[in-house]
Amino acid sequence: MTTRFARIVWFVFGAAAVFFMLSPLLLLVLFSFGRNSLASFPMRGVTFDWYRALFANQDFWVAFQNSVVVSLSVGVTSVLVGMLAAFAFARMKKRRAGPLLALLTVPLMMPPLVLALALFSAYAALHIPLSVWTVVPGQVVFIQPFVILVVYARMADFDESVIDSARDLGASPMRAFLTVTLPIIRPTVIGAALIAMALSLDEFIITYYTIGGGLTLPTLVWGMLRRSLDPSINALATLILIGTLGATMLAIRATRYRG
Amino acid sequence: MPRNPVVLTLFALPATLIFLLFFLGPFIYFVVMSFWSVSLFRLSRDFTLVNYLDVYREYGYSVAFTFAIALLIAVIATLLAFGFAYLIRFRAGRLGPTLLFVTLITMFGGYLVKIYAWRTILGTTGILNTGLIELGIIDEPVSWLLYNPGAVVATLTHFLLPFAVLPLYGSLRGISDAQLAAARDLGARPLRMLIDIVLPQCQPGILVAFMLTFFIAAGDYVTPRLVGGTATAMAGNFVENQFITALNAPQSSALAVAILAVSAGTVLLLRAVMRRTLAVR
Repeated sequence: MTTRFARIVWFVFGAAAVFFMLSPLLLLVLFSFGRNSLASFPMRGVTFDWYRALFANQDFWVAFQNSVVVSLSVGVTSVLVGMLAAFAFARMKKRRAGPLLALLTVPLMMPPLVLALALFSAYAALHIPLSVWTVVPGQVVFIQPFVILVVYARMADFDESVIDSARDLGASPMRAFLTVTLPIIRPTVIGAALIAMALSLDEFIITYYTIGGGLTLPTLVWGMLRRSLDPSINALATLILIGTLGATMLAIRATRYRG
Repeated sequence: MPRNPVVLTLFALPATLIFLLFFLGPFIYFVVMSFWSVSLFRLSRDFTLVNYLDVYREYGYSVAFTFAIALLIAVIATLLAFGFAYLIRFRAGRLGPTLLFVTLITMFGGYLVKIYAWRTILGTTGILNTGLIELGIIDEPVSWLLYNPGAVVATLTHFLLPFAVLPLYGSLRGISDAQLAAARDLGARPLRMLIDIVLPQCQPGILVAFMLTFFIAAGDYVTPRLVGGTATAMAGNFVENQFITALNAPQSSALAVAILAVSAGTVLLLRAVMRRTLAVR
């Protein structure tokens, strides 16, 4: 095989893979501005009607508000809790931290449906009424592993001598944390928070089973999908994509993640 | 930073409590439920294995079907992802970071949105059909694109590809260029280098990529429901049906436990096989 031929094959493969990954999402965004009521070719001009229809829908604002409340709560909770745990694991012996880390990561491996039905059954057995506040811990339990893994990875190559210096110069543990540790790990923490919020904003299955009658943006999409062909669903899907992909993009920028 | 064991335990406590209260507790309750039964819509808490017998008798086919389709998706996604990760690491040069960025941003968002996108692409009045008609390639819309196992495979492969690329790229990044250069200088062909150097060192990445894609595919029920059609019900759909429609939580739980066991068994088997075949020689 000549190198030239190999280069062409790799180029075609790469282009096809990127096209496969991006085109479904780009088409969705494109058709949210299309005048046709169905996502189909040819596109008959550009319109903002579907966004207008969506913003006129009372359910959208209810779902939007709930989604904001849930993803902010999940973001803050999982970052606080996950950061503390990551600190603890980074200070422990590897032999002890490893299994604990693996244990807390188990919910990530579970099918969300199993997690959702287990939580639903437990809430029902304990007569806990469902609301957005039953959704939050259900999401935190599978989102906190992401935060723990990301912050733990950062803490593993943290130069501790800078903290010792601060302490030697008379800083209290709290002051050393606030003026030395936190500024160093801030990008990582911000990145982890953004990813946690993106995951929460997008979460559908656990939310659907533990919110009771309420709505979030993904459960609103589900409702619209099941009812009828409502073109404003393209607009809603685009807004969710902007929220989740935007947060992820900012997170990658913040952490300067390189794989 | 505190090193005191008591303080460390306190630090790890909130996350552990959330894990125990909102995962382990409910999960154990859910599994215990699989040994109970329902008669006349009332839960009877006497120990029974009847639900597992029913999984064997009535859902054997759907568990096998789910296993087969999840295996197919995991194999396709892992192979594609390996090619793509290989491209990023060894072939793309300066474009590598951009390709990685594309992979990453599509990873954390749009689960439902992606499934919906595939439905609008593959439908009879969808983007693909109308596009092909517009281009004059076909005259009539083709209806076999949507509501079949193929649509489920396409949709889930699309959703899972980033999850598989990332661990594979992580493994490939660890392979030293010097080792590859040495092999090349000694006259090794690309295929030989792939088999003797790249694949053995990539083993953890392959395993994680396969495990993630297989687990998520085997446990999914939304994709088969939205793009799979009536003939493509996966075990997850029956888990949901038994729970919601038939109000038979114990049966639902037993079926879920069966899928989990099959999935875990598959991954353990794969790990054993890979240890043998990809051992560093």
